[in-house]
Amino acid sequence: MDSDKIFSSKYNGSKGMTQFDIHSANATGFGAAADDYMERGIDLNEELVRNKPATFFMRVSSDAMKEAGIYKGDVAIVDRSIKATNGKVIIAILNGDMLIRRFEKTKDSIRLLTDSNKLSPIQIDNTCEDFAIWGVVTYVIHTP
Amino acid sequence: MKAIVDCNSFYCSCERVFRPDLKNKPVVVLSNNDGCIISRSDEAKLLGVEMTGPYFKAKNLIEQHNVATFSSNYNLYGDMSRRVMDTLKILVGENNVEVYSVDESFLDVSMIEENSLDSYALQMREIVEQWTGVSVSVGIAPTKTLAKIANHLAKKNKAATKCVATIIKEDNIREILKKTSVSGIWGVGRAYADKLINWGITTAWDLCNMPEEWIYKHLGGVVGARLVKELKGIPCIEMKDELKVKKMIATTRMFGKNVTDLNDIKEAIATYTARAGEKLRRQKCVASVLSVFIVAKEESHSANFSRGATLSTHTILPAATSVTNELIAPAMRLAEQIFKPGGEYKKAGVMLSGIVPDTSVQSNLFEPITENNKRILMDALDNLNFSMRDDIVKFASSGLTRDWKMRKEFRSPRYTSRWNELREVV
Repeated sequence: MDSDKIFSSKYNGSKGMTQFDIHSANATGFGAAADDYMERGIDLNEELVRNKPATFFMRVSSDAMKEAGIYKGDVAIVDRSIKATNGKVIIAILNGDMLIRRFEKTKDSIRLLTDSNKLSPIQIDNTCEDFAIWGVVTYVIHTP
Repeated sequence: MKAIVDCNSFYCSCERVFRPDLKNKPVVVLSNNDGCIISRSDEAKLLGVEMTGPYFKAKNLIEQHNVATFSSNYNLYGDMSRRVMDTLKILVGENNVEVYSVDESFLDVSMIEENSLDSYALQMREIVEQWTGVSVSVGIAPTKTLAKIANHLAKKNKAATKCVATIIKEDNIREILKKTSVSGIWGVGRAYADKLINWGITTAWDLCNMPEEWIYKHLGGVVGARLVKELKGIPCIEMKDELKVKKMIATTRMFGKNVTDLNDIKEAIATYTARAGEKLRRQKCVASVLSVFIVAKEESHSANFSRGATLSTHTILPAATSVTNELIAPAMRLAEQIFKPGGEYKKAGVMLSGIVPDTSVQSNLFEPITENNKRILMDALDNLNFSMRDDIVKFASSGLTRDWKMRKEFRSPRYTSRWNELREVV
């Protein structure tokens, strides 16, 4: 197996279904027209969970990312299989804590930003052993 | 070629995924009822915490070194196990994975070229850890038995092996077998190992050099012959399909505290019977034999942890069934029969056997209508309990207070299966 195939993102959401899970209109009167257009309803998992074994849900318990539209009480959907690149919102491990922050990676520095003026960015030292990336936040579920 | 992928200190690893503060720190996980240590991290091992040792014996050591201690959280471990196995299935294809236990899987990796197996194993290991957070060790060899030995080597010196070992070439296999004790061979139990060592056969290589007739005679016939062939690199134990239909279903638990009251015991037995019935229906079967047992507390003066007396009995059901109330009623009678007043009990269990497929599921045409009603009731019950969890609908005989329930003092949140127990991020 080539490594491209291994690393490619593959749909592993909730397609645990068959054609027979789609019901026909079953109308007693004039149902034939609708029957031809029956399809599966929208499934949130399909949109929100791209790689099931690598996807985890977490609860945001601070307003650090408020300016990015991520509030206290929101659910963050985290995919561990996605590579953290510059600008992505990530779950970072720093000194044993789990932080939700925007990842800034330039040629010679890594910073964790909050999108807010109140909290200053955290500069990550190259030699820092207590820093790691837990996963990349792909979606946030928010109650308005 | 066969590979075995085995999770490193699996239960501890699962806890650490959500507790990065415990990285490189000693961690232990306790068995049901917080009785024994069933998983320990490498750091805990280095401190001298013993595996499968009783918790109270290690308590001083644990407190002294501030070892993070968890009650078992099977909801979490089950979910993490599924993630690891699903990842492997994506990597090598569903049909090439045999889930062997909660934390081990055999893989058929014949499609990989021999000289790239090492890098393939490393890549696989990295992906599993990247995706799930659980670290694994991989052993690859021509047979399952040799793969197990390779895996053991990979685990022994993780820094040097990067948790991967392949033994493929004949001379390499020979060298390793010379260093492998007979007691370290997969499928050789302690009794056989002792016997072999007594005969002067101490290494796997010694065993390989015994004549076939001798092995057949002294090592359990076909089973022994197969084992030795496997050691020689001839595959005899093939990949198995998932075990879907179990021939026997047992549900047993320790009580949270010793129980003296018949009513408590009956509640516990009713609960276990309901659970066993649920498992039976999940595999679309019915059972015709029901056994019940209770285990008395050991005498306090017994020095060597001898077990308490087991009281057990069984009954043959008038008709094979999977309907919970038809199982609970006879189970209650059996419990009354075996219970001796004045005793203290620590454990109880229920066992279902004589299991055959429930064909009425397919054809309700010839079933009396009442049978079908029971079926519908059980389906409704199971649907409710599986979607709402925690036995939201239960039989009254299972009790309301459940004083006898297991101790789980240090259980971590069920991070992956409950909305209100998600890991928090700041």
